[in-house]
Amino acid sequence: MNNERLTAFTRQTGTILATLLGLLILTFCIGRLMPVDPVRAIVGEEADQATYDAVAERIGANLPLYQQFFRYVNDLLHGDFGTSIRTGQPVINDILHVMPATIELATFAIIVGAGLGIPLGILAAVRRNRPIDHVIRFLTLIGHSMPIFWTGMIGLIIFYAALDLVGGGGRLSDYYIGLVPETTGFLLIDAILAGDWEVFRDAVNHLLLPASILGYSSMAYITRMTRSFMLDQLNQEYVITARVKGLSKGRTIWHHAFANIRVQLVTIVALAYGSLLEGAVLIETVFSWPGFGQYITNNMLIGDMNAVMTCVLLVGVIFIALNLLSDALYKIFDPRTR
Amino acid sequence: MKPLMRMMGPILLGSTLFFQPAYAETPPTMLVVGFSMTNILTLDPAAITGKETVQVLANIYDNLVALNAVNRAQVDPQLAESWTIADDNGSITFKLRKGATFASGNPVTSADIVWSFKRLMKLNLAQASFLKTHGFSAANADQSFTAPDDSTVVIKLPKKVDPQIVVQTLGIVGPGSILDMKTVMEHDKNGDMGAAWLTNNSAGSGPFTLGQWQSNERVTLEQNPKYWGEKPAMRRIMMRHLAESQSQRLMLEKGDIDIAFSMSAADLKALESSKDVKIQTNGGSGFYYLAVSMKDEKFQKPKVREALRYLIDYQGLNDSVLPYFGKLRDRPVPAGIFGALPNAGYKLDVAKAKALLAEAGYPNGFSTTLRAISDVPFMSLATAIQATLAQAGIKAEIITGSGDQIYGAMRERKYELVVGRGGGGQLPHPDSNFRAIVYNPNNADEAKLTNFQGWRTSFYDEKINKMIDDALVEGNKDKQIKEYQDIQTYYADMVPAIQPFSEVVDSVGFRADIKGLELNPSWSTQLRTVKKER
Repeated sequence: MNNERLTAFTRQTGTILATLLGLLILTFCIGRLMPVDPVRAIVGEEADQATYDAVAERIGANLPLYQQFFRYVNDLLHGDFGTSIRTGQPVINDILHVMPATIELATFAIIVGAGLGIPLGILAAVRRNRPIDHVIRFLTLIGHSMPIFWTGMIGLIIFYAALDLVGGGGRLSDYYIGLVPETTGFLLIDAILAGDWEVFRDAVNHLLLPASILGYSSMAYITRMTRSFMLDQLNQEYVITARVKGLSKGRTIWHHAFANIRVQLVTIVALAYGSLLEGAVLIETVFSWPGFGQYITNNMLIGDMNAVMTCVLLVGVIFIALNLLSDALYKIFDPRTR
Repeated sequence: MKPLMRMMGPILLGSTLFFQPAYAETPPTMLVVGFSMTNILTLDPAAITGKETVQVLANIYDNLVALNAVNRAQVDPQLAESWTIADDNGSITFKLRKGATFASGNPVTSADIVWSFKRLMKLNLAQASFLKTHGFSAANADQSFTAPDDSTVVIKLPKKVDPQIVVQTLGIVGPGSILDMKTVMEHDKNGDMGAAWLTNNSAGSGPFTLGQWQSNERVTLEQNPKYWGEKPAMRRIMMRHLAESQSQRLMLEKGDIDIAFSMSAADLKALESSKDVKIQTNGGSGFYYLAVSMKDEKFQKPKVREALRYLIDYQGLNDSVLPYFGKLRDRPVPAGIFGALPNAGYKLDVAKAKALLAEAGYPNGFSTTLRAISDVPFMSLATAIQATLAQAGIKAEIITGSGDQIYGAMRERKYELVVGRGGGGQLPHPDSNFRAIVYNPNNADEAKLTNFQGWRTSFYDEKINKMIDDALVEGNKDKQIKEYQDIQTYYADMVPAIQPFSEVVDSVGFRADIKGLELNPSWSTQLRTVKKER
């Protein structure tokens, strides 16, 4: 590694660590400013002051705020993410349990969102101001403006209750719970590993609706952005030149215009995926999906700061990783950035 | 675009293969129950806090005695076959049933029972407060709980109270739950008496054992093959975390769950017409009430408090806001509990309230704040009360917030009006209500008696404190009933800080083919009696 690379690496690492530390400080401050009392959550409404004080001492809630923060950071540096008040389990174990559920949901959703959003965005741009463009824009407007909580509920009423096409709440029907060993936590993968296709099908049945609704929501965003990027390109002179030179419309769009928006799309899709990983709480609530969004929200509501801080740290790491990934893809798609 | 379309076709076709109808009903020997589990933080009986946890543990742990589901005043034997109260009311002797074993196979002995109570007091967690109220403490636990032989437990009362209330306390889930000492102590960690292990494990003698608890996902209970009582019909109970009432309703209608425990009034109402679903309502614990802070000068005046009493639309609130969750009650003792007087019959009477306000020096009313949890039904209750207060010129600004914010303000004694829920009632004994709602042994701020709502409202009346204490130790039942009736009359006359307008009831929806479901007050329903008739 030459000096220039070493400096760049050091600078990037420093930026990442500073970002994560800033994130921790901010989260800790917000968490402590929120009017929630973790001690009361543990001891309940009826407990007397002696019980309250004893529990406050046990979990360290009686310490000054800065001491609580430094204690957490110190433990963190020793690889201890703390124990959750809610579950009594090491936070890291909890996260390892809820994260696969969310990754499955978000991955499926982003496949739907990007898989449909990018072609539809291109189609809308190519057919600008034609009926299909209006239809697509209308659909994306709905996707953008409808509360996902409401869309989820309507989806359940139609596709689960009325049409009986998909499973209801949760990741599996009651018949199948516990039938395949939790090897990876990813239900689809575990079902495949166990060779249990009934469970696999049931898991897909339960995943389809929440993932499609989440995917629809991100599709709306991706479509609009794709359309906008594509319109920019279609107005460039090189597109007209390519057409004048006799290149087919399809080839011009896919091989030239699309090639030039890939870089921006990578960023958009990566950020949308990151948001799905940490922001699917409403859809997780409606569909009783035991994922990361619910975990972080429920712990925030009782002031379980060990869990909240670790979750925020993880979200920070996810976004940093996605940014690094999109930077790497930039270099592949755009030789000028190498 | 054509290649894309060609590609999408098979994908869509393939995906439809997965669109298969789910099973329309739950397995025949598995009961599936849905409710919100966000409040479940531990499954250690000594540390639990919410009614949701009670619903789980009621099926795992036995007590010495059990409170009857139908007749709340009746105490039934459970691990104790019989009990006798000493002539001086100073102790209770329990004789244990023979042959009862824990799920581990260990026999249930008096040593386990004594140890369970001592553990409760020594850990001094949430549930200890039930016994601390009666004078038990970590310091006197060794003297209070003894086992003269393997099948006898003697509980010596540390202070003079009605022994019946102690027996009843031992019948509720949490303070009365009996643990398998050997199994728990095998998992003792740094002297925590198994607390960490019991967070998500069980060591009881009840009809079910804890299979698995996944926080905010599900609790699985497995039939206990060593259960000493009649074998339950269900081999497994699957309790599913369903936070949304509408999700519970949809799944109940479809038959994907058998019982829905936490549905909203709107969803329960919608299910009334369903032939596949039934609704059952039973007594809960506590009251919906309007509370004032006596720290506030205005509310120190009895006439103002009395005016507020006539600015509550008792019937309207119960009919429009509280169906399925409340039953009109304007006394501080639930109907059906011994000594309970009939309703006083307060009604919304704006003219009378205005006259009382004028007498108190507020002919044009005043401005105040009204706090309520930003959740169903509190917001609706607060809005309705705000409207009736306005009719007498009282401008109440509604302040909403989480439970911590609203009850936190009460605990800090920094509020004016609160629409809340509480007031004891876990025990079928008037003392539990009076002690929670009006008793206040020390009104000083530094006393911090936050577990007494009397203290939170800064209401202090030496006479009523004494009346409550005296009634509790009255040995003659008829006299005791009379004394509790007198307290209710006195309570009405002096217009204290908390005015109940509804007693809490619980409602659940369940599939019509579910038989034997007897809803127990305070979410302690025993599911061992439940069967499916298909």
